[in-house]
Amino acid sequence: MSKADIEAQKVKEAYFTASQHQLIWQRFKKNKSALVGAWVLIALILSGLFSPFLTPYDPTIAGRNADYLNGAPEIPRFWDENGFSIRPFIYTTERTRSIQTNFRWVTEVKTGLEDRRYVYFFVEGSEYSLFGIKMNTHLFGVDKGFIHLFGTDSTGKDIFSRTFAAVNTSMAVGTIGVFIAFVMALLVGGISGYYGGWIDSVLQMITDTIRTVPAIPLFMALAAFIPDTWSAEMRFFFISLILGFINWPTLARRVRTHLLTERNQEYVLAAQLCGATPGHVIRKHLLPSFTSYIIVDLVISFPYMVLSETALSFIGLGLKDPVNSLGVMLQNVTNADVLLNYQWYFIPVIFFITLVLAFVFVGDGLRDAADPYGDSH
Amino acid sequence: MLQFARFAAVRATLAVTTLLLVSFIVFSLMELVPGDCAERYIAFKNTQGAVITTADIDAERVRLGLDKPYVERWGRWVVNAFQGEFGDSCILRLNISQLLGDKFKISLAICLAALVLAYLIAIPVGIYAAVSKNRIVNNFLRFVSYLGLALPNFLLALMIMLFSTVYFGESLTGLFSKEFRDAAWSWPKVQDFLQHAWLPIFILGWSATAFAIQTVRALMSDEVGKLYVTAAEARGVSGGKLLWRYPAKHALTPIVNSLGFDLNRIFNELPVVALILTLTEAGSLLIDALAKSNDQQMAGAIIFLLTASIVTINFLTDILLAIMDPRVRRSIIK
Repeated sequence: MSKADIEAQKVKEAYFTASQHQLIWQRFKKNKSALVGAWVLIALILSGLFSPFLTPYDPTIAGRNADYLNGAPEIPRFWDENGFSIRPFIYTTERTRSIQTNFRWVTEVKTGLEDRRYVYFFVEGSEYSLFGIKMNTHLFGVDKGFIHLFGTDSTGKDIFSRTFAAVNTSMAVGTIGVFIAFVMALLVGGISGYYGGWIDSVLQMITDTIRTVPAIPLFMALAAFIPDTWSAEMRFFFISLILGFINWPTLARRVRTHLLTERNQEYVLAAQLCGATPGHVIRKHLLPSFTSYIIVDLVISFPYMVLSETALSFIGLGLKDPVNSLGVMLQNVTNADVLLNYQWYFIPVIFFITLVLAFVFVGDGLRDAADPYGDSH
Repeated sequence: MLQFARFAAVRATLAVTTLLLVSFIVFSLMELVPGDCAERYIAFKNTQGAVITTADIDAERVRLGLDKPYVERWGRWVVNAFQGEFGDSCILRLNISQLLGDKFKISLAICLAALVLAYLIAIPVGIYAAVSKNRIVNNFLRFVSYLGLALPNFLLALMIMLFSTVYFGESLTGLFSKEFRDAAWSWPKVQDFLQHAWLPIFILGWSATAFAIQTVRALMSDEVGKLYVTAAEARGVSGGKLLWRYPAKHALTPIVNSLGFDLNRIFNELPVVALILTLTEAGSLLIDALAKSNDQQMAGAIIFLLTASIVTINFLTDILLAIMDPRVRRSIIK
């Protein structure tokens, strides 16, 4: 046997002895769009987790810039008519009111050399806690005044800081929601699929009924129960909770179908004939047979959670102000003033479309990769 | 024929049972709100200057039938609901069916139009995508359907509003012009309605179209490679006629079954889109009831009506499929 043959043999052997996860990973790697999606997703998750460090200001009212309300985005520049600078800079803005402006507040941009605000990296700023460690270093900032890359909202909060905080919130809501849905689905789908018979019929009847009711209207009805006196954190958990409670039926159905089909497979019968206990069969044979599918399902249902939360917060029934999420940030954008004059309110939308698209690409890639017949085409 | 009637009867019973379960959920949601109607009525009287006692509240409860057991009240609510009667709204002290008026029908019309639009686009495009070997076309359609999920209807509505305001100086909102808002239905009013309704129909149809293209494509690609198609081709049938008469007929019947769920998805987006485009129909009424006035009777009625239309569609499509598809028909009539 030549050396090449041995190599080929090895590759083949590796393929046939590979675990399911290795197979999935190999197929996933071949899918370029899914891989790009995965990188984007990781970048977004990390930037969400490290948002207090990456962003210059506190995303709540504590970090507001009272002198720059509804301010336009400030893009750092390297040169202007006063000359070139290695260090990027922005201009100083000042709110003034005088007889010239008819006594209305007007934001004035000063472009003089002495009015440049230089951008520095690793600057000291407001204190925050990152994974329990108290820190006050921010990735970037300016030497005097404020810098607002994406502009500010009507209360002077920095939209850049809020956007990254919102990514984090959405991920957290999605994670909790998916987790609850997952537990419920395993429980209901597991019972339904394992026992079968009339228990299955009754449980299916209930899940089908819940699937028939349009989720977001039902969701709105549930969210309307939240008393106004609740704190932002309690609201946050309650919203994640209902998200999970509403999204479980689809997942439960999948778990049930998997269990029902796998239960009658020959390898299960073989294990039973060898004297394996039901617990052993479930743990060692049934669960591994569909964990990958369940993971895929969870990834696919994630964007739905994020979008439902956004829709809910947008209409004012979801998360509320001190917590930042895309829906909260978009709450007031439908008024004509914002549409005509402050279009930078819409910048976070780009991040969210990217986030959801990344999830969809990864989910689709994983689904294709987890499909054992995926190699055939 | 008898077997078919039995099949229809079983389906109808299932539909009614589903609706009963839904009505129970909805009714429980209405009941769980703190403070019942009697308290609210009396509280209103209190604001009018009347002095009230606990006895007054109890008397009011008896008058409204709130002292009866839970199941009995639910039963009465359901019987009325099936007749399209939802009682009075506690907050507005007006009859709910009167308040709803045509609004629910308008919502339903818009959503059904969106559904029809989605499939009018999706069926030809999906079939083309399944047959075509053109990589660019396929990748483009793939991207569009991904975007259908990533850019949900309400974000699309926001974006369209943003662009129309910035570039045309008009926000394209509402369902009727000012002069028709409270007028009775007439031909000019219908015309006016259509002039405004195309945008919500398009926006609501957007995600549905993206999903439908995916479904049609997947179903068609499974069918196109099959032997009977090759056999038909060998007999000399070709082009659109071949596709339409052989694989499409097979592939597209399952779609009939999923119409109910498509409608469900459209209803899902309806309230938020309605809010953005300031449509005066049931979706925005639902948001008003829940987010502003806390009017659970109204919200319950709307959610019940939405679900009832989905259940009805599911029932109709089941029957339609049994009539259309010989495979299904044979499984019923053994």
